[in-house]
Amino acid sequence: MLAVCTGCSLLCEDIELALKNGAISQAKNLCRKGYAHFQSLFTERTKPQVDGQKASMDEAIARAAEILRESKRPLLYGWSSSSSEAQREGIDLAKKLGATLDDTSSFSEGLLLERVLTGRLSTCTLDDVRNLADLSLFWGSDPSNSHPRLLSRFAYYPRGEKRQKSYEEERTCVVVDVRKSATAALCQQLIRLPPGGDAEFISTVAAVLEGKIPRSGDKKRMIELGTLLRKTEFGAIFPGAGLVHSLKEKMDLLEGLLEQLNRIAPFRVLPMVGHYNGRGFNQLLLDETGFINRVSFQEGQARHSREFSIMEAARSCDAALVIGSDPLSSLPFGVARALASVPLIAIDPRRSLTTDAAEVTLPSAMYGLEAAGTALRMDGVKIEFQPIVESSLMPDREILKRIGEAV
Amino acid sequence: MIEVKIVTFQDIFQYEAQKKGRYSEEYKKLSARIMLDKEDLEKLGIKDGDRVLVKNVNGSVVVAARISDEEPHPQPHPGLAFMINSLWSNQLVGDQADETSIPEFKNISAEVAPTEEQVTEIRELLERIRA
Repeated sequence: MLAVCTGCSLLCEDIELALKNGAISQAKNLCRKGYAHFQSLFTERTKPQVDGQKASMDEAIARAAEILRESKRPLLYGWSSSSSEAQREGIDLAKKLGATLDDTSSFSEGLLLERVLTGRLSTCTLDDVRNLADLSLFWGSDPSNSHPRLLSRFAYYPRGEKRQKSYEEERTCVVVDVRKSATAALCQQLIRLPPGGDAEFISTVAAVLEGKIPRSGDKKRMIELGTLLRKTEFGAIFPGAGLVHSLKEKMDLLEGLLEQLNRIAPFRVLPMVGHYNGRGFNQLLLDETGFINRVSFQEGQARHSREFSIMEAARSCDAALVIGSDPLSSLPFGVARALASVPLIAIDPRRSLTTDAAEVTLPSAMYGLEAAGTALRMDGVKIEFQPIVESSLMPDREILKRIGEAV
Repeated sequence: MIEVKIVTFQDIFQYEAQKKGRYSEEYKKLSARIMLDKEDLEKLGIKDGDRVLVKNVNGSVVVAARISDEEPHPQPHPGLAFMINSLWSNQLVGDQADETSIPEFKNISAEVAPTEEQVTEIRELLERIRA
């Protein structure tokens, strides 16, 4: 049977599977990450729990609703690993509760994605990249580890409409990074920057494009890069967490560089969205409120502020619902600690530090494996998926709906 | 003791180990390590695989020190260290973010010193978080 992989935001639709006795007996086209994702169906699944004790789903949902009802400043966090339908349900719940709502983009790709979703950085689809791109630039990103099939399906190896000679002759890949990543090992050029060196790199590229002699970095390499950029017909830039963390409030510099590049040829930006439906959540919330994340509905109207970011809200909330995310593992120690000090409700198919620390744990079905839904691929293309195994578990969409009815 | 700047990154093998079991030995082994320049290991008087205490104002962890493996043409990077993004590296990340409210996952200043202590266990980290 054919399946969609929800292991990362490439949402590969060509996964061929054979199942035997409820287990995967054969799999085709899965990358290492995808295979681990599919296999995780069978390990470390959650069970409904209240206060560390086994409970029924009904009891756990009732307790979750009670916690949220009693809370004055609830935080609803996670969202990037839920279907668009569940995200919709989550936004409705946040409105009903007057809650703060934030997702994992808040401490990673949000700064970039906001510019893409609001049109400040021009973008394209991955199919455009496959068909047209002669240059792919991985900037502070390492798809070989994070989005393993990006190069084989779209960015480098396939024979696209205008790129029949593909990587042998027509495509060039460049990595800009602080280290020689696995992706860098496959690419023609690695521009190695010192940590935090991206702003200076941008001004050097800008100078080189104007025909000036670079004042910093490896001069020969920078001139080569300038030559490559000037002869590019269609450029795809894949910025990742490395660029976000280095540029931060100076993200406007990237906009400036893109303006300059687009005077040469189309250069498009495709942020490396971390989780499989992170973009879906940011798009939905943007459509609904005008903001992609960090929103509070406490005063009815949606308000946006950094105080509603997970970093700040973890300290100011008095209860939190965490969905499809493990903030106790993924956030800085102090923030994890603040979050662990309030009553936590964790909705997750799989065990994590957060489900272990939660007052209420609600197991959910795994999307694409046990439940149907839709998601936005990292380039914004909508992908639908169907379950491949039967499951009695509720999808998180249903759990959220029931919590919403009970509060 | 040496002072380093740590940059974190993602690793597919560690991701796979995490999916198999977050409390597993394999996940700990792949997460709890710091990649140092060869020269830094020599300065510390330790060899590849020896344990080090990495600490700063935010917290501390014991991890394995590894020589960063940038073959075949390694570029020296003394003072610059790499850790795979994990619960261990997150102990060292500050919770006071700047005006962007984006934590410094990729810009961690820390001290590294040899130690006889065992690698910090995930259960101990969870206890610290819940304390």
